[in-house]
Amino acid sequence: MSTLRELQHDVRDALLGSAEATVGEIAGDGVTPAARLAVYRHHVLTSLTAALEATFPVVVRLVDQRFFRYACDAYVRAEPPAGPCLFEYGATFPDFLAAFPACRQLAYLPDVARLEWAMNVALHAADATPLTTETARALSAGTLESARLALHPSVTLLASPWPVDALWRANQPGGDGVVDLDAGAVDLQIWRRGDDVAFRALAPAATAFRRALADGGTLTVAARAALDAEPGADLAALLREALDDEVLLDCTR
Amino acid sequence: MAFQSLAGIGLRSPHVEEMLATRPAVGWLEIHAENYMGGGPAMRALERLRSEYPVSVHGVGLSLGSADGLDADHLERLARLVERVEPALVSEHLSWSIAGGAYLNHLLPLPYTEESLAIVTAHVARVQERLRRRILVENPSGYLRFEHSTLEEAEFLTALAQRTGCGLLCDVNNIHVTCANLGGDADAYLGALPAAAIGEIHLGGHAVNDADGRPILIDDHASPVAEPVWRLYERALARFGARPTLVEWDTDVPPLPTLLGEAAQAAHRLDEAARGERDVHAA
Repeated sequence: MSTLRELQHDVRDALLGSAEATVGEIAGDGVTPAARLAVYRHHVLTSLTAALEATFPVVVRLVDQRFFRYACDAYVRAEPPAGPCLFEYGATFPDFLAAFPACRQLAYLPDVARLEWAMNVALHAADATPLTTETARALSAGTLESARLALHPSVTLLASPWPVDALWRANQPGGDGVVDLDAGAVDLQIWRRGDDVAFRALAPAATAFRRALADGGTLTVAARAALDAEPGADLAALLREALDDEVLLDCTR
Repeated sequence: MAFQSLAGIGLRSPHVEEMLATRPAVGWLEIHAENYMGGGPAMRALERLRSEYPVSVHGVGLSLGSADGLDADHLERLARLVERVEPALVSEHLSWSIAGGAYLNHLLPLPYTEESLAIVTAHVARVQERLRRRILVENPSGYLRFEHSTLEEAEFLTALAQRTGCGLLCDVNNIHVTCANLGGDADAYLGALPAAAIGEIHLGGHAVNDADGRPILIDDHASPVAEPVWRLYERALARFGARPTLVEWDTDVPPLPTLLGEAAQAAHRLDEAARGERDVHAA
């Protein structure tokens, strides 16, 4: 007889395995052990697929629901959740789609999934009080330059060679789905302001500015990165724009 | 504040806005702990609702029965949520969901053995120590049993309550489902539970599916409470006395008034049970 630990590892493998997989210790009682285990497997796969459908609705629309469920079946078995909060499940789904042979011709699909994942992260990210324009104004110039600013935990910066913002908008309920895929690359900021999740395109200097702050740079370092990206960038305007977006945190202390 | 034996509903995201706007009369709300472990609008809505309704925190992911051990990080997140929400009740399940680092999103069955009892007992004790409060442990729905089980489920729960001081959450629908699927007697099950330990009752809908050509009941929380489950609930109230009772509806979530109607049916039976208790005391 196996220990409880061995039994649970066997059940786990059987649930993520084939329809015939079973475990020796299950009693039959008129219904085969495999059929009894299949009841559990069905719930595991469908409930996790439903969680992914809720997180990636535009991907569902782009590939249709049947294909999405087929992809989820493979994903859930290969990469089941690591923890019980389902809003945290699916971080690796975009990479999985990128490597999934059956949708390789949809080159933009993984980046659409990355955008939806970033929106999910923004919705559930920890609350934090952003640095306001008034507070920033009250800091002396010297204090501000050496301040350790960080990005709000809801922020993701996403660079894509595809117009994923247009793809997302065209595939909302009622959208016509028509997008010019040659529209080109975008740099997006995805974040939550108050209760609302939003995304918008950023200019190269604004992206470089935020990425430098995300990497732990001071305002001086971020300003240099912005100028490297766009010589002649208006630094005061960049700071104002980030404060207006409510994406900065003061982490000096 | 003592938590009264009223009827409550499971708070589901499609109902949150309407709850905030209309503040309907319902005894209390139960949330799934794992839906409130992030930041953002969900938590802010809950902060507003908890000022008007008692709240129960019902965990679905702690995996009390995992032989791999409790997830310490998850327990910390639960502790922080409980500190923030200050719930009237905290509950979890007699089941496991995690093995080898995979969370399987299901309340999976345990063999009812002394080995399992020792593991669950240690985990419940640790949770109660960390939360600094008593928790309730719920009986799961069963679709299989293990051949090497040596204890009945009700016996296992009774021993768990005795060893840890935890209370029990009696899910009447789960008893009905488990007994139908595994050939048990629901009344004998109720009779074997320690009445004083029952801190809450759950009700919910189930479906009838087919397994190997035989009917199998599935606890899917996707329909109204079935008639036989209402009857079993009445017998549970007669045995335990009135207890806070929750109606769960998680899949194909109906309009809020439908769910409130189910809770009203439970409230009616709770009133009758409370009246019966008063008559007994007066006699």
